[in-house]
Amino acid sequence: MYMAAIVAAALLLLYTSASAQETEEYFRQNCMSCHTIGGGRLTGPDLKDVESRKDRDWLVRFMLDPRGVIESGDPYAQELLSQARGAIMPSFPTMTKKRAGQLLDLIAEESKLERSQFKGLQVSDRPFTEADVDKGRRLFMGYERLENKAAPCISCHAINDIPGLGGGTLAPDLTTVYERYSGRKTLSTWLSAPATPSMQSVFKPQPLTPDEVLALTAFFEHTLQRNPTDPSTARLNFLLIGVGAVVLILGVFDVIWNKRFRSVRRVLVNSVNEEILKRANSESKDA
Amino acid sequence: MNVRSQVSMVFHLDKCIGCHTCSIACKNVWTDRKGAEYMWWNNVETKPGTGYPTKWEDQEKYKGGWEKKNGGIRLKSTGKGRIVPNIFHNPSQPSMDDYYEPWTYKYDELFNAPEGPDQPTARPVSMVTGEYINVESGPNWDDDLGGSRQYAENDPNLDALTEDQRQALFSVEQLVFFYFPRICNHCLNPGCVAACPSGALYKRGEDGIVLIDQKKCRGWRSCVAACPYKKTYYNWSTGKSEKCILCFPRLETGQAPACFHSCVGRIRYLGVLLYDADKIQEVANLPDDQLVDAQRSMILDPHDENVIEAARKNGIHESVIESAQASPVYKFVKEWKLALPPHIEYRTLPMLFYVPPLSPVMASLDDTLTSIDKDFFHDVEESRVPLKFLASLLGGGSEGKVLYALKKMKAIRIYRRAMTVGDITMETAQRALKEADCTIEQAEAIYKLTSLCTFDERFVIPPMNREEAIEMMKDPHEHRTNTGFGFVDSPKRSF
Repeated sequence: MYMAAIVAAALLLLYTSASAQETEEYFRQNCMSCHTIGGGRLTGPDLKDVESRKDRDWLVRFMLDPRGVIESGDPYAQELLSQARGAIMPSFPTMTKKRAGQLLDLIAEESKLERSQFKGLQVSDRPFTEADVDKGRRLFMGYERLENKAAPCISCHAINDIPGLGGGTLAPDLTTVYERYSGRKTLSTWLSAPATPSMQSVFKPQPLTPDEVLALTAFFEHTLQRNPTDPSTARLNFLLIGVGAVVLILGVFDVIWNKRFRSVRRVLVNSVNEEILKRANSESKDA
Repeated sequence: MNVRSQVSMVFHLDKCIGCHTCSIACKNVWTDRKGAEYMWWNNVETKPGTGYPTKWEDQEKYKGGWEKKNGGIRLKSTGKGRIVPNIFHNPSQPSMDDYYEPWTYKYDELFNAPEGPDQPTARPVSMVTGEYINVESGPNWDDDLGGSRQYAENDPNLDALTEDQRQALFSVEQLVFFYFPRICNHCLNPGCVAACPSGALYKRGEDGIVLIDQKKCRGWRSCVAACPYKKTYYNWSTGKSEKCILCFPRLETGQAPACFHSCVGRIRYLGVLLYDADKIQEVANLPDDQLVDAQRSMILDPHDENVIEAARKNGIHESVIESAQASPVYKFVKEWKLALPPHIEYRTLPMLFYVPPLSPVMASLDDTLTSIDKDFFHDVEESRVPLKFLASLLGGGSEGKVLYALKKMKAIRIYRRAMTVGDITMETAQRALKEADCTIEQAEAIYKLTSLCTFDERFVIPPMNREEAIEMMKDPHEHRTNTGFGFVDSPKRSF
């Protein structure tokens, strides 16, 4: 009986500490790209002492379904939305009521600390160089392999800096991403641990290194100076290039297979008929 | 010596009257089906003429047969490397228009027309699309020089002639033509078999008949392009290619093929030849002018003890050897050297041989009488169908072989005339025979087999010994337990 109690207590301890660790890990992977605790706002607000601003019930509700709360017309949510320049917090399929509580507990714990471990990444603030931009472009295009072997950006994203057919159309155009994510710090943090589900599935197992983040951010800042591509002209260009290529390929085929079999009988008959007709015409003229 | 047996054929063009009975017999038995309407496994062409499909002899276009390349020979149309880039579209495929679009008539409209002021007609409808068509061409559209401006003048064999000869050939008083019936040649070096990517075509070991396995055929149509005689056809309904099967079900039951059996002019001969299969490659590589002789040298004397011994060793049945000894084809091709292979320069080594036709003398007003005593073969050399034309068709380009055969035939006519009419002396006839390299015995034999031949003399069909031939493909004991009853449509337990 006694023994059983000890084992149970040990297991419970193990579970809670494991659970605390897991929550920290969860925060790092899912929240840190947009939020800090005491590090100032990124895309989303600084979460230090968040419970002093709004009660736990409301917060849990928001965490479970951010879009729903915003669309319900809640005034505070509207305010948050305008602060985030229209960026809506993604809904996390792994978010539960229990998880939300744990996260809020963690935030409360960390808020008490002088310097939270979630204060935010130390983003280098050295000015971007031409070499950074160039490396960023190379990484984006896939000319240079990402260190952890994730797929290059161009697989899914387009950007106006690409010659030819542009990039992928699965994901948003990144020409103005630097502006949308309000600058270097936010974008860098976001790239270090992307929060959206599709980005996560690619970059969680093979994250970008700080060097790569810097280069890509530099590249995105560079592209900002250009105009984003108009999607409709891009589509038209794609179509026109496609039609042109088909005509060209058919032309090449025609040359390669120039000696292919062509009609024998019809050509024969037509040529002789033409000759006869011509002769008849000239004879009638003579007459 | 690797002795094989081959059922071979001779067509005596001097006897062909161009009645197309052979074509109809074949059509009724084999190709009166959906997808096969346009096929004529047997057809009769008028020469000069472009034939069926139109201008099939123009291998610059049709790319049939073999060509000499890098010291060897290769197919003109395809090859192991060349087949890959052309896998989705074979570039040497004749179109339906080059054969003809098969049609029938809407007889309903003729018989059930309502009463009216106009004559009812039966309009032609395509047997492919079922829609009304304007008939522009048929399988013997240039028969008897019909439409000769378009067709006959474009016979590829006329390329061998001078411009004067061509002009003369088509001037009204000298117009001449002969008939050229064609079936599959069941070649020794068949292009169709070599071209098939699926391995569906094969040459039957026991009798050399070339067949297409309808289960293995995948409709690549490489055989259609590769056959220089255009004797394989694609069935658009079944998606398989088909060709003349030399009526093997009839042969196996001792009957001559339908076209042979029905031949009105009795121009067709069929019999076994023994040949040396080891020589095929060597012969097919020789220059054009040596091909006719070389092919003859491959054909072995069935009376020669060594040949018989080698044949036995190769598993050729005694009855087949005996049949080869009585073969009329052997006599025409090898002994008498009368029959010649068509277009042997395609190098497929065809095993159907043609006796060239004699034609009327080229006569002009001041030279109508020629003394037969002085110049026996004046009219052969001056015949209306120029020797060059026949040489292009049957002699591999050299006139000598054709001239030899024509002279012999002419000499036998002189000999028979001395016998029956008597206005030529026998000495003159004998001199003519001697000049034509023919003995009296040979002249008699040729005369008999040409003019008085019976069914059994024309068709010496070897016993096919299927019970032995089947051992090459499957175990007879197993075969026995799998057939016997209901092998066309086996009975199944059902409700």
